[in-house]
Amino acid sequence: MKQFLGFTIKTIIITVVLAILLDYCYTSVYLQSNNRNKIEYVYNSKARNYDVVILGSSRANNHFVSEMFEQKGLKTFNYGMSGGHLFEADLMLKLMLERKYKIKTVILEADLNLCNEHQAEGVAAKYLPYFYVSETVRKHFENEDDFKELYYIPFYRYIKYETKIGFREMFFSMIHKKSKLLDNGGYYSLGTTKGNMKNNIISLNPLAHNKYYEEIKQLCKANNINFIAVMTPMCENVVGMDYFDKVKKSYPEIYNYENVVLEDKYFSSCGHMNNAGARIFTTRIINDFFSK
Amino acid sequence: MFFNSFAFAIFLPIVFILYWFVFNKNKTTQNTLLIIASYYFYSCWDWRFLFLLVFSTFLDYYTGIRIEKSRKDSGRKFWFWLSIGINLGFLGMFKYYNFFANSFAELMQGFGLKASPFLLDVVLPVGISFYTFHGLSYVIDIYYKRIKAEYNFVDYSLFVSYFPLLVAGPIERATHLLPEIKEKRSFDYEQAKAGVYQMLWGLFKKVVIADTCATYANAIFDNYHSMNSLSLILGAVYFAFQIYGDFSGYSDMALGMSKLFGLELLRNFNYPYFSRDIAEFWRRWHISLSSWFRDYLYIPLGGSKGGLWMKIRNTFIIFLVSGFWHGANWTYVVWGGINALYFLPLLLRKSNRNNMDVIVLDRSWESVKVLANILLTFALSCVAWVFFRAKTIADAVLYLKQIVTNGHFTSQYLANERYNYELLIMVLLFVVVEWNNRTKEEPISGKCQTIKLALCLAAIMVLGTYSDYKEFIYFQF
Repeated sequence: MKQFLGFTIKTIIITVVLAILLDYCYTSVYLQSNNRNKIEYVYNSKARNYDVVILGSSRANNHFVSEMFEQKGLKTFNYGMSGGHLFEADLMLKLMLERKYKIKTVILEADLNLCNEHQAEGVAAKYLPYFYVSETVRKHFENEDDFKELYYIPFYRYIKYETKIGFREMFFSMIHKKSKLLDNGGYYSLGTTKGNMKNNIISLNPLAHNKYYEEIKQLCKANNINFIAVMTPMCENVVGMDYFDKVKKSYPEIYNYENVVLEDKYFSSCGHMNNAGARIFTTRIINDFFSK
Repeated sequence: MFFNSFAFAIFLPIVFILYWFVFNKNKTTQNTLLIIASYYFYSCWDWRFLFLLVFSTFLDYYTGIRIEKSRKDSGRKFWFWLSIGINLGFLGMFKYYNFFANSFAELMQGFGLKASPFLLDVVLPVGISFYTFHGLSYVIDIYYKRIKAEYNFVDYSLFVSYFPLLVAGPIERATHLLPEIKEKRSFDYEQAKAGVYQMLWGLFKKVVIADTCATYANAIFDNYHSMNSLSLILGAVYFAFQIYGDFSGYSDMALGMSKLFGLELLRNFNYPYFSRDIAEFWRRWHISLSSWFRDYLYIPLGGSKGGLWMKIRNTFIIFLVSGFWHGANWTYVVWGGINALYFLPLLLRKSNRNNMDVIVLDRSWESVKVLANILLTFALSCVAWVFFRAKTIADAVLYLKQIVTNGHFTSQYLANERYNYELLIMVLLFVVVEWNNRTKEEPISGKCQTIKLALCLAAIMVLGTYSDYKEFIYFQF
């Protein structure tokens, strides 16, 4: 039995050493990469200057056409992330400011994402490689339920989120394979193929004081950044459209653009406009806020 | 509680420590602990079905004794058929009742009659097909006087409910496992180490091979209408490796952890995809089930004694029953039927026992022929797996038809956000590792054990699929 105990200890030691080594290797690769997604594009960058930075979920990512801002002479990047919540948008802004970005205006898509303060695991996972090296990232995750496991068990984060930051993604980062997420100033246009054109948001309720929304607002104020929060369009076939009125009631400063594009032909799915719809919407935003 | 879950990683070491350090006085204490652990393990799935397991155990224990004690043949027959009837009755009720009721209703509809069958709202008790077969083989062996009845209830209970084999086999025989259970086990380092290696290799097959192949196979099978020929062929290949990695991985884990308790279980897989014909495939795939059907169905039906037609009839019966054993769906029956058809040329040529020797490849033409036969057998099994995986027979037929008619062999981006060919390298590497170690139960033991152990652990950590968690396929049977 003593021999077996020795064998078991040896196996455990091999496992732990492997976990530490792999963790180190993966993290090192991610620290060198900046062309796979918007998070590493910011994390591994130095000071950048922007006239306009767009934050939010896919409803920002697919709706604000960066190129149209650029045509107006506004240096713009769309940092909206598909599937993201305000948790990730807030951390993104924190990292930008930590890297001394000079930003004149932040446009935040704030509508459906106001109803929770959770992390969007699939998106938040992309921040996890920086856990040990960034105080800002660590602090942002500190109150999350799985923080201790992710932080203290080496390599666990890469196992738990293997589809997001696992071997395949690490390998592509290592060979510097570029992704399309950073093309077109971060704007990702959707086609005309129709997805789900019905939506039921009746169960959603905006939180009265969304912690991350307030944090973004405060960060902008503290850094003299012009803050514009907007609700973006949804198709007509939505049950529970009064959600947007509730948002307006709780957050009067958020501009309601939900109804500026209505026809189904401008939508790829109920919550996401296609390229034509995004262009109509962006024109309206530019005219309203940047036409002077 | 799955073998590859965190809960099981806590459960197993606790049972191991208690087994060797607290309950190690004699075989009764060892067996008692394993029964408690097994019942706890089973109750983690659904504690209500624990009563069914205990009842089934008691039934076969009691009827076994009564069969042995009966002096008259009529008494022996009564207790024998009582046990068979109740065992198959439970299996039929939980697993097949709704299927037959629905099939009957569909048949009536075919004749223009409307039938509203009474359906049972029950879930299938996990492992019922496996522990029922344990009990059946025990009672049948006593009836035919191959073994003596077991009078020690603890020992018999452990034979039926031993947790490594409780929910997905291998299907043990009383002649093999009971004698082991009746001896006090003493710790054997080499056996335990081999057990750990086998468990890790089983885990590798499950999380690296099976679960990764599953993401591709699912993406292809679920959208087969829009897939081209190459994707469809790869989908069938990926599913072949998914089900092999899943089930043989589970079996390896079961055999490995059993070695930790000093008990050797029956080998269930012996590199089936290196078979040279379909008969050899079935001697290497799910061995405990194939041999069960051979001994308790094929041979009682007359086996190969009654001439060629009898042999063909019996072969078809065991394959159709075997297919049906897997699940209450016509796709499984067709899968069994296809395998029986594959068997037919071998039976007609009396060559079903040709490939009994070890496969050796060298630089001769004979080796080219062997390799071609291996590839052909694998291709045939892949075609049959399409029926096993598809939701309906029509889906399977359309899937195969589209392979032939589509004619496009380009890369395709799948719903799992991967290209169809991406997994091929990993699958080929796995085949090479298996081929080079085909004379052993797992590839870690032997020379450079520590390096191979580290590589296996690294592969499990780096290449495993964890976020898209999948149950073991055979748990549903």
